[in-house]
Amino acid sequence: MAYSDKVLDHYNNPRNVGSLDKNDPRVGTGMVGAPECGDVMKLQILVDEETGVIADAKFKTFGCGSAIASSSLATEWVKGKTLDEALKIKNTEIVNELALPPVKIHCSVLAEDAIKAAIEDYKRKRAAREALAGKAS
Amino acid sequence: MSHFRQTVECWQCGHPAEHSLFCRYCDSLQRPTADYFRFFGLEPRLKIDAANLEKRFYELSRLLHPDRYLRKSPTEQQYSLEATAILNDAYRVLRNPVARAEYVLRQAGVESLEPRARTLDPALLAEVFELNEALEEFRGGDRSVRPALEQARERFLAQRGEIDAGLESLFERYDESRAPNVLAEIRKLLDRRKYVQNLIEQLDRELATESTDAATSD
Ligand code: FES
Ligand SMILES: [Zn+2]
Repeated sequence: MAYSDKVLDHYNNPRNVGSLDKNDPRVGTGMVGAPECGDVMKLQILVDEETGVIADAKFKTFGCGSAIASSSLATEWVKGKTLDEALKIKNTEIVNELALPPVKIHCSVLAEDAIKAAIEDYKRKRAAREALAGKAS
Repeated sequence: MSHFRQTVECWQCGHPAEHSLFCRYCDSLQRPTADYFRFFGLEPRLKIDAANLEKRFYELSRLLHPDRYLRKSPTEQQYSLEATAILNDAYRVLRNPVARAEYVLRQAGVESLEPRARTLDPALLAEVFELNEALEEFRGGDRSVRPALEQARERFLAQRGEIDAGLESLFERYDESRAPNVLAEIRKLLDRRKYVQNLIEQLDRELATESTDAATSD
């Protein structure tokens, strides 16, 4: 299958590959998989506690070129956004940006789900911490 | 689905054709159904008799072969081409238990319900992820992970075996009950199987390119 130039660009120079410390309270980790093909993706965000803005994002994807490109793009997009803004990112925007063909739509779904899962994970950690702090005071 | 409403009268003689491939009255070839089970004259069941399916496939290949229709009407020539294409697709899908189950799920509309990642058990996902990382190190030249990869392969083969056994019994339960919740369970197992199978294939590829001479002893 012919990949678009944008997919190839992200595939050849993926942005933000790597990982953040998942035990850091400011880090949210989203790990998702696409049952259609068995590919897996991990996306992590680092949230600035003062501003509530995503300061950094990293990903690691074991999957096809479109999944790698989608997650690379997703990390670029979430940086500098608040959690609420990041939650609004839709897989269809990724599809448009990367010109993904219909059979590759699930790869972009994977990236959208990974963002959501990372944010959920961060919120869960924060809520747990606040509950603890509430009990302590 | 449109093919369920196909004309049930023979295009040639007008007698009822009852969805069969050939008219019982004039023997002419009918427009083939796109339903794989019906095409083979089978009940839509998840457990099927493989030997019977194979026998039927060869019979139908012969009966539907376009060469037999060279001197027949253009309608039948066309139908024989269509039928041959469906026959091959149907056989490929029905003979393979996983493909067959996917087909039944799609027909039942279970497919699009939850195409998302969340339904998967996080422990499996983490395991898949770790193994992929180990594979990456291995590809990068770190030979020390080889024993771990071999163990993982054994483990995943065992898991696949369990999944397949689970599928077998779910197939039976579905054939008896036709219960939609059984289909949902099948969906879950098939998803798991996909990840496991994917890893087994990757492991096989990596471990084989590593030591091609050891592969013959298998
Ligand atoms: S083919 Fe499955 S994630 Fe791209
Ligand atoms: Zn007839």
